[in-house]
Amino acid sequence: MRVAVAYKWTSDPQEASVGTEGSIDWSRAKAGLSQYDPVAIELARRLADETGGEVVGVTAGAAAAGSPIACKTALSRGVDRLVVVTDDSLGGAGTTAVAEVLAAAVRHIGDVDLVVTGDSSMDIGAKMVPTVLAGLLGWPAVADVTAVTSGGGGVHVEREAPGGVEVLEITGSAVVAATADAAVPRVPGMRDLLAAGKKPVEHLQLSDLGLPDASSQVTVRASSRPDTKVRKGQMIDAADPEAAAGELVSALRLSGAL
Amino acid sequence: MSTDTWIVVGGQPGIANLVEAARSLDASVTAAVVGPRSLADSVAASGVDRVVWFGEDREAPVEAYATSVAAEVAAAEPRVLLGGRHPAERVLLGAVAASLRAVVLTGAQSVSIEGADVVVVQAVFGGIAEQTVAVTGPLALVLDGGAVPPLCDPVPVEEVDAAPMAMTVIENRPSEFEVIDLAAAPRVVCVGRGLKAEKDLTLIESLAGAAKAEVACSRPLAEGLSWLGKDRYVGSSGQHIAPELYIAVGISGQLQHMAGVRDAVTIVAINSDPEAPIFAEADYGLVGDLYTLVPAITDALS
Ligand SMILES: Cc1cc2nc3c(=O)[nH]c(=O)nc-3n(C[C@H](O)[C@H](O)[C@H](O)COP(=O)(O)OP(=O)(O)OC[C@H]3O[C@@H](n4cnc5c(N)ncnc54)[C@H](O)[C@@H]3O)c2cc1C
Ligand SMILES: Nc1ncnc2c1ncn2[C@@H]1O[C@H](COP(=O)(O)O)[C@@H](O)[C@H]1O
Repeated sequence: MRVAVAYKWTSDPQEASVGTEGSIDWSRAKAGLSQYDPVAIELARRLADETGGEVVGVTAGAAAAGSPIACKTALSRGVDRLVVVTDDSLGGAGTTAVAEVLAAAVRHIGDVDLVVTGDSSMDIGAKMVPTVLAGLLGWPAVADVTAVTSGGGGVHVEREAPGGVEVLEITGSAVVAATADAAVPRVPGMRDLLAAGKKPVEHLQLSDLGLPDASSQVTVRASSRPDTKVRKGQMIDAADPEAAAGELVSALRLSGAL
Repeated sequence: MSTDTWIVVGGQPGIANLVEAARSLDASVTAAVVGPRSLADSVAASGVDRVVWFGEDREAPVEAYATSVAAEVAAAEPRVLLGGRHPAERVLLGAVAASLRAVVLTGAQSVSIEGADVVVVQAVFGGIAEQTVAVTGPLALVLDGGAVPPLCDPVPVEEVDAAPMAMTVIENRPSEFEVIDLAAAPRVVCVGRGLKAEKDLTLIESLAGAAKAEVACSRPLAEGLSWLGKDRYVGSSGQHIAPELYIAVGISGQLQHMAGVRDAVTIVAINSDPEAPIFAEADYGLVGDLYTLVPAITDALS
């Protein structure tokens, strides 16, 4: 089985700082593999091993997504080869633009049986790239997937449903988005990192895929730092737990919270 | 492109927020419904102008209708598409957005029409900033679906022929966890990774019992550790709640967690680390070991 895995090279908004006018400064945020994408890579690896297939990593982003460190990070976690599409316009690209690039990359790879994605990206986190990607490819999609195995001439996919787990059989190519805990990702060792340096990476530009630049269709009119509720911020000395508990309970009763 | 709004409904009836947002746009509202006939009937009485229903098939999951829904909705060339946050709803909305090459946004706090633009105020990047954005082309919004809308006079249900994709439900396994509605709880005790072992949940349950509160958790406890059901975790990708009282125990207060509880009336934080970010967003903070503080507070309440 040829399994493609979509991963994002990006930064954690927690490390960005927001100015009073809502401008976002990412300069101190370190780039890395989006938090939940190693889970997708692990799932893809296991499925490929089970079926004797290969794992092809795909990513779309600004130049940094094609840097040696970014490629090694993905390849050291069990990906066999990479298709990396970079363009300046992909840096802040929206969900649909990203999905279009990934769809073109999946077609470019050819004969892909399954695309596995992470749950949500660390920055945008819309959980929509996989579903739009499936729509563009005309393939079935399932989100919140906890397990994938081969079976029934395709795959068996477990997913969470209200009140339980459902097992779906899908014939033909599909896109699945893993939950954050679908697999425990491996921690790459020295040997994996060395081997990663020797694996093939195909670098593509948008024009190689016949795509225009991913200029945004969204105009930002205003930005602001969200008004957070003003909190009391009252610290209760907890050196004596009983006294602290008593003080908390009376304060909550007094303010009507209890 | 028309000026119409479409709501994409996938398998569950909690769509009050979608109907309300759609109605506020002053345009015709059509719902595309995948699921049992009873769902189509309930949507028909939710205040929309039209209901298009894709028929019933016991074995096909909601997602199997994605291409049929995409074709039907795209043919109407709507300006705004609305869908809920559940996985199957996202799959349907994604397929429609793909057919229309629509811009997809999440985290919208409001949406309005200004001339040729659809204007959205949205929280971005996990809520660190807020942006007002304008989109001219078709726009797909993922919103919290909300409750089941109150019933009003029904419109007819129009059934369309649909060809489900090749996917079938072959097994159903009930969950070990009961299904709860956290958003309805007036008080919530929320526990995080400060708890060392699953058996220690009894401490948290006792506190919740004494405070007449529901038990909730941070994401790692529901996903990963599986100590609690996934409908109990609070945050940007979990439940969004606004209880009267929120007691956070052993939770650091990361951005994605706080995004789900920012609207709580009163927040209490218990954490052994005085530097934990949760204290900056708390009304009352207690620095200390939850293993001594939680029993003490439970006692003080009883
Ligand atoms: C895209 C994305 C979406 C996410 N969505 C969510 C979401 O919806 N909800 C969510 O919760 N998280 C979400 N997360 C994860 C989030 O970033 C944090 O990792 C998570 O909230 C941390 O959980 P925690 O506070 O329980 O654990 P930790 O951050 O590990 O904090 C544990 C805390 O317990 C304290 N502690 C330890 N021992 C004790 C003790 N004995 N007594 C008292 N205190 C103690 C520690 O000081 C620490 O502050 C998301 C992440 C990403 C990238
Ligand atoms: N730029 C990208 N390149 C490759 N994969 C991506 C990209 N953006 C999102 N994805 C995949 O889609 C998942 C969901 O992302 P999102 O819809 O942004 O929350 C991620 O976990 C990745 O697997």
